[in-house]
Amino acid sequence: MKQRADDTLETPITSMIDIVFQLIIFFVVTASIDKDVQDEAIHLAQAKSAPAVETVDPRSVTINLRKDGEINIALMPMSPQQLYNFLVSMRTKGGNSIPILIRCDAKTKYKDIDKVMQATAKAGLFRVRIVAMLDE
Amino acid sequence: MRKKNIETLAVPMSSMIDVVFQLLIYFIVTQREEVTEAHLAVNLPAPGAAKASENKPKMLELEVHPGVLLIQGAQRDVNEIGDMLVAFGQRDKDMTVMVKVAMDSFATDLVTALDLCDKAGLKNLNVVTLR
Repeated sequence: MKQRADDTLETPITSMIDIVFQLIIFFVVTASIDKDVQDEAIHLAQAKSAPAVETVDPRSVTINLRKDGEINIALMPMSPQQLYNFLVSMRTKGGNSIPILIRCDAKTKYKDIDKVMQATAKAGLFRVRIVAMLDE
Repeated sequence: MRKKNIETLAVPMSSMIDVVFQLLIYFIVTQREEVTEAHLAVNLPAPGAAKASENKPKMLELEVHPGVLLIQGAQRDVNEIGDMLVAFGQRDKDMTVMVKVAMDSFATDLVTALDLCDKAGLKNLNVVTLR
């Protein structure tokens, strides 16, 4: 009499569930809220020869300036006066060495950039940098 | 009677899944964000210091207009201005560059001027508005 043993290959799933939970825990623990929210509507001007940024000062304040002149910080719109008040409060907390990063669209008019620079100078902050995209 | 033994070759998949997960974890841990931005420094004139810096000797004037750059009052091609700035930079790296920007210029014009100064190694920049 012939006996047939039907061997059904089954993949053990229980270990895989453990791995999936490990991955979930890893991503939950390492996720961080990005405080410098980038405005996707801004297309930066290109810089052909400037070096890439190595480290960014964590105290830096990023001011987004759209091509229509709208100022926002972390997607929160601001008027020049509100920007000035905000910068004064940042200066009070962190001193006058706080770097200011101006992310402006390539088509932003200089008169709008000038308003932002005037506000930063008036607030006593002089470490201003214009953010540009590297030419690849 | 001849018995036929049909052997089915089955590849063990469970170990392969472990290897896939290992590779996944390796690439997640070693992933680095590619830096695609440059920060061009702009020195704003401190209140009351504007006049003093204008009278400072060994100062280079760079004017920025929409689509046009002028160096020491003369309009030149971007490449020519770049070469001239490099030559100035080689002579004196501490030379002050007064970047005068017209109100109707665009950010891309300002970035081009700052980029050329950065390429020439000229770090003493003062950005002022051309009125």
